[in-house]
Amino acid sequence: MSLANPLALYWLGAIIPIVGLYILKVRLRRVAVPTMLFWNRLYDQQKPRSVWQRLRHWVSLLIQAALALLIAAALADPFFPWETRQLRRVVLVVDNSASMNATDVAPSRLIAAKSQAVSMIRGLRFRDELAIVSAGGRPRVVCGFSSHSRTLTATANDISPTDNPTRVTEAIELARRLLDEPADERQSEIVVLTDRDLDPIREGESLVAIDVRRFGAMTGNIGITQFQTRRSLIDPLGYEILVEVTNASDKAVEARLEMDLNDDVIDVVPLKLTAGQRWWQAFEKTSASGGHLTAKLDHADSFMADNQAWAVLPKRDSIPVMLVSEPNLFLQKVFESNPLVQLDCVEPSRLGLRPDRSITVFHRQTPPQLPTGSVLVIDPRNDCDLWTVGEPVPNPLVGQQDQRAAASMSLLTHVQLNNVLLPEARQVTFVDDAAARVLVRAIGGEPLLAVIERPGQKVLLLTVNLAEGDLPLRTAFPILVSNALSWFTENRGELSESLPTGAITEIDLASLNPTSEQQLTLVAPDGRRTELPSRVDRISLGPFDQCGVWRVVDLQKGEITLSERACNLANRDESDIRCLEPEGRTEPFVAASSFGQRPIWVWLIALSWLLLGLEWWAYQRRWIA
Amino acid sequence: MPLFDSDFLTKLDYLSLVSKRLFRGSLLAQRRTKQMGGGIEFADHREYSHGDDFRHLDWNVFARHGQLLLKRFQEEADLHVYLLLDCSRSMGFGSPPKFDLARQVVAALAYIALADLDRIAVVAFANDIVADFPLTRGKDRILSLMKFLEALEPSCADTDLVRVITGFTQRPQQRGLAVVVSDLYDPRGYERGLDLLRYRNYEPHIVRLFDRQEAEPSLLGELELMDIESGVGQKVTITEEALKKYEKLFVEFGDNLSRYSRRYGLGCTQTLCDVPFEELILGMMRSAGVVA
Repeated sequence: MSLANPLALYWLGAIIPIVGLYILKVRLRRVAVPTMLFWNRLYDQQKPRSVWQRLRHWVSLLIQAALALLIAAALADPFFPWETRQLRRVVLVVDNSASMNATDVAPSRLIAAKSQAVSMIRGLRFRDELAIVSAGGRPRVVCGFSSHSRTLTATANDISPTDNPTRVTEAIELARRLLDEPADERQSEIVVLTDRDLDPIREGESLVAIDVRRFGAMTGNIGITQFQTRRSLIDPLGYEILVEVTNASDKAVEARLEMDLNDDVIDVVPLKLTAGQRWWQAFEKTSASGGHLTAKLDHADSFMADNQAWAVLPKRDSIPVMLVSEPNLFLQKVFESNPLVQLDCVEPSRLGLRPDRSITVFHRQTPPQLPTGSVLVIDPRNDCDLWTVGEPVPNPLVGQQDQRAAASMSLLTHVQLNNVLLPEARQVTFVDDAAARVLVRAIGGEPLLAVIERPGQKVLLLTVNLAEGDLPLRTAFPILVSNALSWFTENRGELSESLPTGAITEIDLASLNPTSEQQLTLVAPDGRRTELPSRVDRISLGPFDQCGVWRVVDLQKGEITLSERACNLANRDESDIRCLEPEGRTEPFVAASSFGQRPIWVWLIALSWLLLGLEWWAYQRRWIA
Repeated sequence: MPLFDSDFLTKLDYLSLVSKRLFRGSLLAQRRTKQMGGGIEFADHREYSHGDDFRHLDWNVFARHGQLLLKRFQEEADLHVYLLLDCSRSMGFGSPPKFDLARQVVAALAYIALADLDRIAVVAFANDIVADFPLTRGKDRILSLMKFLEALEPSCADTDLVRVITGFTQRPQQRGLAVVVSDLYDPRGYERGLDLLRYRNYEPHIVRLFDRQEAEPSLLGELELMDIESGVGQKVTITEEALKKYEKLFVEFGDNLSRYSRRYGLGCTQTLCDVPFEELILGMMRSAGVVA
């Protein structure tokens, strides 16, 4: 037998004061009594300190000495050599991915796995070490190597279910790295509790033994494996939805897919899917309000996480437009054709203050100083601070169209001016040529469509005379105007991507009108809150481990939502919950061959408690007997 | 707080009145003694012997039965009340000390006796007579008696009743009532001392005082008990069982005293020292008529 802490034997010195105190004897308490008549008679019958009593004190001394001996021995932590030779280091990989939430194994695969993990921990021998790694999403060491059964059990029980994808392979790699740290003689093993089928080569190539225990059954599942939405590039109110449903079962199934926008049903699709079929479809819908899109699959199965999916549809704000022109029905109607536009027609002579964030459209008459903000100038007739107007250009032919610049600004998307008859345009000379980008030029080089972007000012210039040509009659004109509005408002086919679980994303805080007092918090779908750093430009969010809509809120503003991101399982592998092997093995993890599965010091302490009880009994006997 | 205050005196007056009311009409003279003599109250007969006074022959009995019997009468005299107060150290034990109640009892008995025109004397004793308040008469002597009592301290050696009673009875004095106020913790026993009183024709009455701590001591464990009279210590281990035995011995001590008193027709009062003295006196008067 060896001692882990031989220095603790110094505690044996505690016997010396115990014996010393017995030798010295504690002075008895003196009590005055009025007479010894009765006490003498009493102790004439029974000797006050009989031989047995003295012996009893010796027994007590021996008990106390033994007590000190046992405690010192316990502190020295004795152990048998064979205990060190049979040490084991085990890494328990618990898969808490989304598919482990399937209820085909009651109550769920994860709970069954955790239950087996706990039973394994209970089967650990003293000095065996075990670490726990979670494999749902990014592999994480939830508990380092420890022999403390209670800590390990609590950690195993605390592993929470997630909607993350499985990362068992990476978790095994992590477990290997953990086991590689001390290259000692101890036996190493990785125990994987999962519902996935591991790559057999990967299992075999490892020097470390891997024990895979699977939980699950050949259970079919149908789930939404993709759900995205985005605003239409053409239609100001339109948006598109992409849905993909996968039948991960060996049988044909019928289901019904319902899509809601803010809890209002927008479409219901009956589905008939053959075994293993993947169905997808894009839907076009209209809505200015935006909100939460929800897809629900009406099909009862044992895996619910993929039966519902979420997407965030950005809201389309109204666009205030102030048209400064002599009455012009073409211009008026082309703006009114856009349902988002709030048009305000003003005659040039009555030009006054314009509302904030509005787009100002000048037709022919322009003020000498163009206002800041968004300005569209059509057919200018007088000079301003950005250009000087020259002579009319008769019958300008569209010669050069800067496709690269136009594409970057999306101003000429779906617009071709080559075939448009333009009887007249205006010669314009820019004050600062470098600031102006001409998108369309006439053959003679005269600018027909140009943009000028300066800090706080965006100007689009169309030099074509609308009254003389047929441009207003062409479909290109409203599209051009619509593109111009989108360019001004920077709203073009906004996409708030629905993220897959386990993903990490970034948000641009600068776009959320940050304030110095704001207190940003990330709110999970189940209400969990995570405080976010403020006073930074960008924040990384995630990994998102739960399906639903995650919100970034500002608590200082009464929990106002600043940004929303939808998160869906969107993982075909996770939706395929078929487990090739029936439930995991249930044989005991470790044969209980150790010294009662407890260290020797525990038994020594137990024995010392017993002796302490005996001494207490003897002490009480001295008083009560 | 003084031992004898005005409230105490008021209570003494009350006790005196009560004693008179209780015994009114039951006494021919102020007090009766057990002395046979020339009184008027018939006591019993005895055989005639030579030299007896013919005047005391019961001629009626002689006429009827032809027997010469002498009539005996109880002698009427002033009662002498001797109050023997224990001043040993053990009397200082208790809370309140037994000695306080003992002095109050002595003062009360003395006052009642003085109020009834009896003579009283107080003898303070421990292992011997340590102080005397000489035989006196008259109610006005009560204040002197109180001063005497207040000056006493329970600081003397252990109790020796035989020696005390021997010294007491050898005094040339008239027999009378001898009230012993003590805890009776005499290592040699109290019986011999009381027997001596009886043999010398005194009428002993015992007032035994004890403290609750003496009756039910709260001692437990390994202790060194020290006798406060002798100063002798003893190392003992007191267990619950030993305590029960102690309490049994203590009760036996009181029972033996009661038995002894009954056997010889002595008045005996045993009481805890935490009772008010007036209750104790009234109880004594009701039960035995010792005071009267």
